[in-house]
Amino acid sequence: MTTLRLWQHFNREDLYECYQCARCTGSCPAMEVAPAIGPRETILRCLNVGHQQVAEDERLWLCCTCHVCEDRCPQQIPIGDLLVALRNSAARRGNIPGRLGMAIELLAKTGRSMIVHQLDEMRAHHGLEPLQPVAADEIREILRKTGLKEVIEF
Amino acid sequence: MEDTQTVEGTQPLRNDLRIGVYVCHCGKNIGGTVRCAEVAEYARNLPGVILSQDSLYTCSEPGQDQIKSDIRQHKLNRVVVASCTPRLHEPTFRAACQSAGLNPYLLEMANIREHCSWVHLHNKDAATEKAKELVAMAVSRAANLSPQLELTVPVIRKALVIGGGVAGIQAALDMADAGYKVYLVERSGSIGGRMAQIDKTFPTMDCSICILAPKMSEVGRHPNIELLTLSEVAEVSGHIGNFKVRVKKRARYVTNECTACGDCIEACPQLSPDEFEAGLCIRRAIYIPFPQAVPSKFMIDMDHCLNNQGIVACDRCYQACEHKCIDFADSDRMLDLEVGAIVVATGVDVYDPTPLTELGYGKFPNVITTLEFERLINAGGPSGGELIRPSDRRRPQKVAFLQCIGSRSKRSNPYCSNVCCMNTIKDALLIKEHWPETEIYVFYIDIRAFGKGFEDLFMRARREGVVFIRGVPGEIIEDIRTDDLTLLGENTLLGRHYKYQMDMVILSVGIRPRAGAEALQRMLNLSADTDGFYMEAHPKLRPVDTTTGGVFLAGAAEGPKDIKDSVTQASAAASRVNILMSRGQVSIPAITAKIDPDKCTACGLCARVCPYHAIEGGKDLGYFRVIEAACQGCGACVPECRFGAIDQTHFKEEQLTSQIDRALERDPQNKILAFACNWCSYAGADFAGVSRIQYPPSVRIIRTMCSGRVSPRWIEKAFLKEAAAVLVSGCHPADCHYNNANRQTAARVERFWKKMERLGMNKDRLRLAWVSAAEGAQFAKVIKEMDGLVKGLSLEEIRRDAELLRQSLEKKSKES
Repeated sequence: MTTLRLWQHFNREDLYECYQCARCTGSCPAMEVAPAIGPRETILRCLNVGHQQVAEDERLWLCCTCHVCEDRCPQQIPIGDLLVALRNSAARRGNIPGRLGMAIELLAKTGRSMIVHQLDEMRAHHGLEPLQPVAADEIREILRKTGLKEVIEF
Repeated sequence: MEDTQTVEGTQPLRNDLRIGVYVCHCGKNIGGTVRCAEVAEYARNLPGVILSQDSLYTCSEPGQDQIKSDIRQHKLNRVVVASCTPRLHEPTFRAACQSAGLNPYLLEMANIREHCSWVHLHNKDAATEKAKELVAMAVSRAANLSPQLELTVPVIRKALVIGGGVAGIQAALDMADAGYKVYLVERSGSIGGRMAQIDKTFPTMDCSICILAPKMSEVGRHPNIELLTLSEVAEVSGHIGNFKVRVKKRARYVTNECTACGDCIEACPQLSPDEFEAGLCIRRAIYIPFPQAVPSKFMIDMDHCLNNQGIVACDRCYQACEHKCIDFADSDRMLDLEVGAIVVATGVDVYDPTPLTELGYGKFPNVITTLEFERLINAGGPSGGELIRPSDRRRPQKVAFLQCIGSRSKRSNPYCSNVCCMNTIKDALLIKEHWPETEIYVFYIDIRAFGKGFEDLFMRARREGVVFIRGVPGEIIEDIRTDDLTLLGENTLLGRHYKYQMDMVILSVGIRPRAGAEALQRMLNLSADTDGFYMEAHPKLRPVDTTTGGVFLAGAAEGPKDIKDSVTQASAAASRVNILMSRGQVSIPAITAKIDPDKCTACGLCARVCPYHAIEGGKDLGYFRVIEAACQGCGACVPECRFGAIDQTHFKEEQLTSQIDRALERDPQNKILAFACNWCSYAGADFAGVSRIQYPPSVRIIRTMCSGRVSPRWIEKAFLKEAAAVLVSGCHPADCHYNNANRQTAARVERFWKKMERLGMNKDRLRLAWVSAAEGAQFAKVIKEMDGLVKGLSLEEIRRDAELLRQSLEKKSKES
């Protein structure tokens, strides 16, 4: 089931064009600051050990989807799409890091992905209006429609 | 010259046909998909066939002997070979027929490999049925063939070489030494090309200019070579053995009396970047490209000279010149040459890495290219051979080479540039030789050290301490205070992210076809591959020939190659020309057009569409006729004649219509009838086969020399016979092998579409597609799309359209 889904969202044959030049990893901001797997190794693992294992690795979530790797890839492999597809596959198996789950929960409850009451104090200090409440129910609706509810409880 | 019309037996006796059919297995190439024995059995029952057999390799010696003995023993008067593309083995089988006493024009081939077995690999039944029909089409065309005599014309024993790099120099010297006059045309002010710019050559580390300069001066003084520098080919006409070439020779503004003393340089006030030094330093407006230049004469760059408005505003160089050999009144000239053969050795440009912004070339001064490095390390270069950083002229301690810049990438050149790996290894060793303490890092993807002595050199570089790191940096960051460079990337073998600080980065840039290669391609009717390099007639067996007779390729213009390969290919091209020269004459294929004076009304429409002005006559004279020696055999005039007075030899109306009849005999409502020109589309379909690109088996391809031969009457016929779709395909506009004869194709198809529209027919059923010889995938795509259309058509629709067409034709004939 998950196999089908992944290759529905990403053309597997695109991966065969990768010749492991590692320009992507050299361009990756996440690799500079975190022990991420990096796009090159992600592609190689998908080809050599299977995407199921890649989807189980929590380091997958360190990618910040900036798409620079894709921009510089000499073979124009849509690496960003691959990472999104892999995360979808991981999420459907409940393989989401706890912190991310909390952020989603917060987003669903408050309409914001972070706690902002401290921000309001700072804004007041600078003479700014407090933040307006957001329509959290609308956001919840969007999250529900995108199918996030099937993956995570909020 | 004997007229082909008078050849005995021109009118075939239809009831005396003795056709032999040979179905080739080509090992498993055809036999693995097509059931050849079944095809041969089917052919046995075709009208006129008296003998049909299958064999493992028909092109082999025993295969050919079989045909020869059958011709003698069974008195065969037509031979049909069903095998590979006629573009490959037609000459082989024609020669076999001829040696057994059968006129070679009585051979016909059915292409059941490139157009059938290779493109329907997984559909054996359909491939076998298609093969049967292709054989049937060939048999019916064969029945209509007539014997022909070829016209022979003398070869002008002079050759033209375009491009004065090492390949052009070698080709010119070889031919001149063989005793023929050679014109060597070079665009710049001196011969020498890229090799003159390079410091050392790999793998032997020879000094490049030291081994090239003697050859250059030999060209300069060879009695058989006429060197034309600052010259470009402007126009080419004619054909193998008899080319007329117009060369534009730009003004040098310095006469032949120049002794290259250099007194003028000091006097000149105008500066410009030095092209030979890759822009690393400046030169004057009056200059000699480099000290060893041939001819050893100065020249004035009028774009930078103060006198470029035609007014002498400055005459300092004239004043400084002792011999007074400066001539501001010099002007461009046109030279008309007549040659028998042409060698194209236009070479390559280097890739400009500016678009790869993450590397900072053009923005960070210490990021340079390998060509710039060659000039930096050369003793005659701007720094006198000192390796210095452009930013502060300090010698770098840490140098990085980045491989595959502009190569193997969809963002730039998709191919491997062939020379960069070894060039970098050579460059690294050069640095180590002069300054052993320098740290050198080579960032690579794959090191391709495939040639003789290459692996040794690679090994030597590693032993000398050059560090090879697998993984090309994704980004270079410059320290704005020190101009040092930080490379970010991943060592893929360690799986570790790296950050290296370097003093200097050298981008190992790839090579690409010369700017302006397309213009020459059109002039000479050459094909180019998808990368823009000129295409050889056959990648393995005719690697220096082109599809245009009498035009040969040498050096990197044909594809990226190093000096040794360029020289080898140049000698090969020269030897191909020598064959032509020593034979002294060439046969022209008997495919010219003929006008029947009895039917001709002297309307002159044919003369208007002839791309070669090969039809002469006039309304007042009461006739038009074809000048046989000038006719190239495109056949574009034939469909233009409303009275059926013109026909093309060997591509006669009844020969082609009999193929149409056969192709649409069975199940036309599910078929695509395709007309493909010999040079581009048919070759493109062949290329789809060679590449094993699969497409639906519903298409039947009929070959004409040019798409201009395709008559609207054939399209009409196909639709009347209820063909589901018709494809007319030819070379891309301006790439036509017959001087844009395919403009007629486009106009005729356009008119047919209008007619279909007027009658209410579905005009999508007629398609016009331009497919080049390199576009196998494009051909397959067109067929797939058309097959999709065919599947969506209903029988009623096809029949209704046929009825509409029939009614309109009946109405027309009643009116007239």
